[in-house]
Amino acid sequence: MKIALRELRRRPARFVTATVILTLVAVLVMFLGGLLDGLVRGATGALRAQDADVIVYSDTARSTFARSRVEADTRAAVEAVPGVARTGGIGLVQLGARVPGNGPRELAATALFGYELAPTRVPEPPAPGEVYADDVLRADGIEVGMEILLGPARSPVTVIGFVSDVSYSGQGSLWAEPGTWRDVVGANRPDVELPDDAFQALVVQADDGVDVQRLAEEIDDATGTTESLTTAEAIEEIPGVRAQRSTFNQIIGVTIAIAGVVVALFFALLTVERLSLYGVLKALGARSSTLFAGLVAQAVVVTAVASAVAGGLALLIDALIGPGSIPLDISGSRVLTSAALLLVAAVVGCAFSLRRVLRVDPAAAIGTGS
Amino acid sequence: MSTTQDDTFEASDSAGTALRLRGVRKVYPVAGEEVVALDHADLEVAADEIVALVGPSGSGKTTLCSIAGGLLTTTAGDVVVGGEDISGYSPKELTRFRQDKVGFVFQSVNLVPFLTARENLLVVDELGPRTGSAARTRADQLLDELGLADRARNLPAQLSGGQRQRVAIGRALMNDPDLVLFDEPTSALDTHLGEQVMELIRREMKDRGTAAVVVTHDDRMTHYCDRVVHIVDGRISA
Amino acid sequence: MFLALKEMRRAWVRFVLLIAAIGLLVFLILFQQGLQSGLLTSFVGAIRNQSAPVLVYSVDGQRVLQGSVITPDLEQIVRATPDIAEIGYIGQGTFTVTADGEPADATIIGYEREGVGSPRDLTAGRLAEQPGEAVASEADAEDGFDVGDTVVVEPGGLELTVVGLAPDAQLSVTPTLFVGYDTYLAAVAARNPGGGDPLPNALAVVPDEGTTPAAAVAAINAGSDDLDALTRAQAADRSPGVAQVRQSFQIIFLLYGLVVPLVTGLFFLIVTIQKAGALTLLRAIGAPAGRLVSALLVQVVIIVGLGLVLGTALYYPLTSFGATSLSLRFDVGVVLVWSALLMALGLASSLIAARRVLAIDPVVAATGAGAGR
Repeated sequence: MKIALRELRRRPARFVTATVILTLVAVLVMFLGGLLDGLVRGATGALRAQDADVIVYSDTARSTFARSRVEADTRAAVEAVPGVARTGGIGLVQLGARVPGNGPRELAATALFGYELAPTRVPEPPAPGEVYADDVLRADGIEVGMEILLGPARSPVTVIGFVSDVSYSGQGSLWAEPGTWRDVVGANRPDVELPDDAFQALVVQADDGVDVQRLAEEIDDATGTTESLTTAEAIEEIPGVRAQRSTFNQIIGVTIAIAGVVVALFFALLTVERLSLYGVLKALGARSSTLFAGLVAQAVVVTAVASAVAGGLALLIDALIGPGSIPLDISGSRVLTSAALLLVAAVVGCAFSLRRVLRVDPAAAIGTGS
Repeated sequence: MSTTQDDTFEASDSAGTALRLRGVRKVYPVAGEEVVALDHADLEVAADEIVALVGPSGSGKTTLCSIAGGLLTTTAGDVVVGGEDISGYSPKELTRFRQDKVGFVFQSVNLVPFLTARENLLVVDELGPRTGSAARTRADQLLDELGLADRARNLPAQLSGGQRQRVAIGRALMNDPDLVLFDEPTSALDTHLGEQVMELIRREMKDRGTAAVVVTHDDRMTHYCDRVVHIVDGRISA
Repeated sequence: MFLALKEMRRAWVRFVLLIAAIGLLVFLILFQQGLQSGLLTSFVGAIRNQSAPVLVYSVDGQRVLQGSVITPDLEQIVRATPDIAEIGYIGQGTFTVTADGEPADATIIGYEREGVGSPRDLTAGRLAEQPGEAVASEADAEDGFDVGDTVVVEPGGLELTVVGLAPDAQLSVTPTLFVGYDTYLAAVAARNPGGGDPLPNALAVVPDEGTTPAAAVAAINAGSDDLDALTRAQAADRSPGVAQVRQSFQIIFLLYGLVVPLVTGLFFLIVTIQKAGALTLLRAIGAPAGRLVSALLVQVVIIVGLGLVLGTALYYPLTSFGATSLSLRFDVGVVLVWSALLMALGLASSLIAARRVLAIDPVVAATGAGAGR
């Protein structure tokens, strides 16, 4: 093992090839992962922030806000279910916002939420006419204290503060008290206007120790017209999330397999070059397992270095790509997970050289050369 | 002077001399100075002669061999091999010359490791005249003569040192050269095996009437050659 | 050829590994290429393949039908624009429907007349002629949207009968139904009784003969800052997210594209260095340098070629089975373009190794194992 590591230090040049290629592959893996994370983050922020255990939609809504409506009597039925501590109404409307200082055709895409129960990252509902804004909207020029105009009806709302990680479906969100939301909907989207005591969905907080899965089913049984999901399920149901996750993970998986093949390939080439060295070492008493462990150690170091460099590059790319162009979110944990998976692939790749190492005959080393 | 006479004259000349070096000089610039590897070397090897070239390390025997084989150009002097004056040849012409006229048996790396014994012989034909089945017949014949018929399909790694040496000799003879250059053919072999190889060389060269220059520092082997030429510090003494 | 093939046969493990690496890379490139096309088609196919050369949104719509509303005054401005042959309403909504007995999402697009927002091509059946008839996106035919199927809008129970299929006609990755405008209004009313008739989301515009769509766009936009007129192609390309998808994939293709020549070039360089001895020997015994280089290039062509075949073979089954929710298409043109590109890159990358081969001095064979002998 020590010899292997010494070789790495003394002759780094021969490992450069594999390291360079693995760095590129690692950057790919991290970039793809960051893309996935960014897409999912931007789609699910608003729901992830909810301080609730269950989300209640109407059963024809297919788990989307826009097509859901929950009337007052349904709400009453939900609140009557044992285990339900509190419910909060929630509604959403997606509109373009006119921001002072931007051109007449440069609208900011916003999702306005009317809410009763405050999500974890958002304060209690503000006064009528006021909103908290998602900080991704800073990229559109929105500032605290600014009055922005929503929708074709140009409904005015004033931004009184910023909140973070609350995006919905890739859009920056605005958070207002229910009355403001209703006014905006009524003025801009009369076709989805709801009566004053109805909301699009309910967020439900359960009593301590209640099985939330069962609670969701009980709520549906009690009302007969709702489809309730745990918050985690509701997040998965946001359009695109599941498909994006599975597609990206498949691509990332194959890319990691490629890294494994690359390690297998270049370490196989290295092994052939060192066959006589291995013969000599075996003649001096080294066991095959020791030699192979040395090989694996080298592969691990090479992959670790490649991952570190790639991690740095990936974080740099993340910093350089401004918010708003590509939804990229390369986090430390994504870098580490990618590195871990690549290390596993590298170790597996080394297995290709195992047979060669086992077959080296020490007797052949002692004798005339080629 | 009739044409016939000229032809006879030239024919006997080329039939007579496999190698003629006249006034050959090879100088290397090393770190600003000039190192003289060969200094006015003259050497003649008849068409069916086996000459031993003996000298200590650094004496220039490898340089001389390389020049005779068209691997190196001279700083000054003439080199005529099998009647062909290669003194002013371009690298491309030298390549073709080596294909046609010369055979080599090097001390190190004699065989292509991923080709079998038979394929190592055939590679010469593949690169050059491409006679196909004629070459295959010749290769099988040579392997048979060299006692390697049952090793034809083995890779070099599967052959002993002596067997590899014999394959190299077979390869050197494939293109029916005018001159074969042997570089320390017995240095890696024990006395008995070395003698066997030298006997083989002598037999093959004499049977075919091919000239050979055998570079060696092994005095045990010089009696297999017709004549011994000594070289010291780039200079030849008979 | 002789040398090239013999070497590959003897040391087949390394060459197989290289083919595997290239094959997987090619597979991923083709897969992601298919993904990109599929995504774009599934998001904005309906826009690209409807018949109106010009679409007019309200600026507030941000180029999404759903968010766009054409008020009566905006409508007036468009109608007053010269050189316009026809104008029709476009209405769009996303609904919950029952198709093939299962609940599903569907986008309903209502248009007024053929040629003004109707689907451009049909692969089966005909356009809707009666109320309650619809043309569905072909991609969803098997999920209960085939010709003859009935789709029920929920809530409300409005029935739609599919009478035709249009290719590449989805919007926002959902099954899409093209219906007459009245049918669309009926669907909205069924879902939200008591809500009023919605205003049209956009206007489909056909310019006069002799007026280009671009000219019509400019004329309409000049009429009001609240109007956002676009040609059909612009409407598709500038839909939110399309540019992002394209940009993301550019970077992905660039990176993957780089890995292939890198792996190929470096592999052949290492192998060439490793066989330097054999190569020097061959040069010494009279092998022309050109021969050795062409042997190298032959290997590159065979390896990259086999990698391309492997990658394509891995990708092809996905296009029949649909491993993702998008339908991936096997586009021969795309495969050929990428194959040519990757082969060229592979050959270019092996030039470093080729240079090494050319730099071999055959005299080293003689002087090889020791200097100054």
